[in-house]
Amino acid sequence: MKLAVYRKKSPWILHYNAGGCNGCDIEILACLGPKYDIERFGMINSGNPKQSDILLVTGPVTKRSRERLVEVYAQMPEPKVVVSCGACACTGGVFRGMYNCEGGIDQYIPVDVYVCGCGSRPEQIIDGVIKALDILERKTLELEVSVRLKKVPVEENGQVNRREVAAKIIHTQHTYE
Amino acid sequence: MNKIETSVDSLKKDIGAFYKPDLHHFMVMNAVDLGDKIELQWFFCNYAFPSAVTTFYTLISPDTEVPDISDIVPSAWVAQAELADLMNINIENTKKGFVLEPDFESGPLRKKK
Amino acid sequence: MGKQYEIPLGAQHISLLEPLHFKFTTENEKIISTDANVYYVHRGIEEACCTKFKFRQVSFVVGRVCGLCSISHSTAYSQVAEKLVNIEAPLRAKYLRMLVIELDRIHSHLLCLSHVAENAGFEALFMKTMQYREFSMEMLEAVCGNRIQYDFSIVGGVARDLKAEVAGMILQRLKTFLPQLDELVDIFQNNWTLSLKNKGAGAITREAAMRLNVVGPFARAAGLAIDVRNETEDLLPWKEVGFEMVTDTTGDVYARNMVRLRELYISIRIIRNIIASLPESALVTETKAFPDGEAVVRLEAPRGELFYYAKGNKTQMLERLKIKAPTFSNVAAMVEAFTGNEYGSAPAIIASYDPCLSCTSR
Repeated sequence: MKLAVYRKKSPWILHYNAGGCNGCDIEILACLGPKYDIERFGMINSGNPKQSDILLVTGPVTKRSRERLVEVYAQMPEPKVVVSCGACACTGGVFRGMYNCEGGIDQYIPVDVYVCGCGSRPEQIIDGVIKALDILERKTLELEVSVRLKKVPVEENGQVNRREVAAKIIHTQHTYE
Repeated sequence: MNKIETSVDSLKKDIGAFYKPDLHHFMVMNAVDLGDKIELQWFFCNYAFPSAVTTFYTLISPDTEVPDISDIVPSAWVAQAELADLMNINIENTKKGFVLEPDFESGPLRKKK
Repeated sequence: MGKQYEIPLGAQHISLLEPLHFKFTTENEKIISTDANVYYVHRGIEEACCTKFKFRQVSFVVGRVCGLCSISHSTAYSQVAEKLVNIEAPLRAKYLRMLVIELDRIHSHLLCLSHVAENAGFEALFMKTMQYREFSMEMLEAVCGNRIQYDFSIVGGVARDLKAEVAGMILQRLKTFLPQLDELVDIFQNNWTLSLKNKGAGAITREAAMRLNVVGPFARAAGLAIDVRNETEDLLPWKEVGFEMVTDTTGDVYARNMVRLRELYISIRIIRNIIASLPESALVTETKAFPDGEAVVRLEAPRGELFYYAKGNKTQMLERLKIKAPTFSNVAAMVEAFTGNEYGSAPAIIASYDPCLSCTSR
């Protein structure tokens, strides 16, 4: 199976609105349409977080949608990339400081690509998603590096002398004072 | 805008006498914080004479229980549930928590003391 | 009586643009009752408009209530603020506001139609409708300078003038759009597969629409003739530019599609009349007054009646601003119209309501 090749060619995107004004969402829908057509990069709008690679989030995080945002992010398998679309997803935008808003999705989940604009143009969204593809490839490579756990060498005759330990603690306390 | 004053006790009688489902269109219920009193408003318009907006209004103190008009106007429960959360007023048969989370401070549209 | 199941839909779902949660109680796939949670997008704009922003800045803030009908929100706020400071917008500004509202209506209705097609499983029609919709986005960009969030209406008038080249371009693109619209009407009206999904689904009667105070294409599809463009000729002169009421009788998904498609012909006629008879005048009426008193304004957004209430207190800040969005009136009917339908057609019914939750919850 050439899974890595296929995943690079065809990332599936998941779209979640965390309380925005719909402006960026209809631009994402326009990206799926024939004029901008991100399907030529092999992307499909998938509704299932468990099959998605890229999470497109719009909107400042409202208090009722924040748990759903974290839940959707947690259900996506590794490697995953988060793209925040629009000014209010990046910083809170005009909604920053309103009583039911949090101001930016990076307070809750790690964001890899920030797409600016109110609302983001389809060209900007495509650009952000293409940047996300590179990050996805890098993250895939990082995952593939095998991690070997190392044993910490134990000193021989490692009996603890309690007086020495106590003297050490007292000594450090004095030096701190 | 045609304003008619009413009171909490005679509200259901007044609106029931005024509202005809095939003639009037209930728009929304609103509240304005005037400091120590709250002004409640109910907006109606007419299908036949559409530019005329009729408003019922009453002044209440914040702890008064407001009667539920959803047996006269069935779609009023949405406006009542929203207003009960945002203005922190008691409306009959209306539970809080439709708009705001339960851990949130109540009445964000009320004036800060 | 069969066994009852509770099926949730949302808050994240592929058929939903925005977070919205329905809980259907079903019996043998038939929906018998529905529970809705529509306040995921509540941000607190009404409070911020009265405490953080001055009344001239608020017309840009209320545009961010909704990205689909931002021009309707900023125009309605501008009108209510003009009533509070006792000025009237110039005639050319009124005509330009109507032009942008109608262009916005074309893009919003076509988006809704494409969404119905996608949720009914007709992917090719979704692509076709989205392709035909792009012209309205390009024209809005040419007129206002941005594809969405136009910031076109300001207190006292409009922010930009319509250039003669742009007007010529709009007329030319409308000429190519008209046969495309005929094609869409043909598909939505005569496609047999789509009619199986749409006819009779999500129906609501005229009496129920009246009882539940439904507005917009939802009400007009059921035969209830309510359209603010028919009424408020003192604020925007709709009847001068050729407005006509469109109604249908059956009130199901098919009727809503047809009402939206037939309204597009009216919108095209209005745009052509506006460009042909655009009056010459200033763009903005200047004033230094502060808002005082209280006023209400109604305006027909793409989804129905938009209502603004504002109260001023002779300072820069407003005392209270109340926004009633069209979907807010329809929530009670949306919950009722599911009853008796199959669960499988629920996504198409939701799309045909054309719900706008960011308007509803603000």
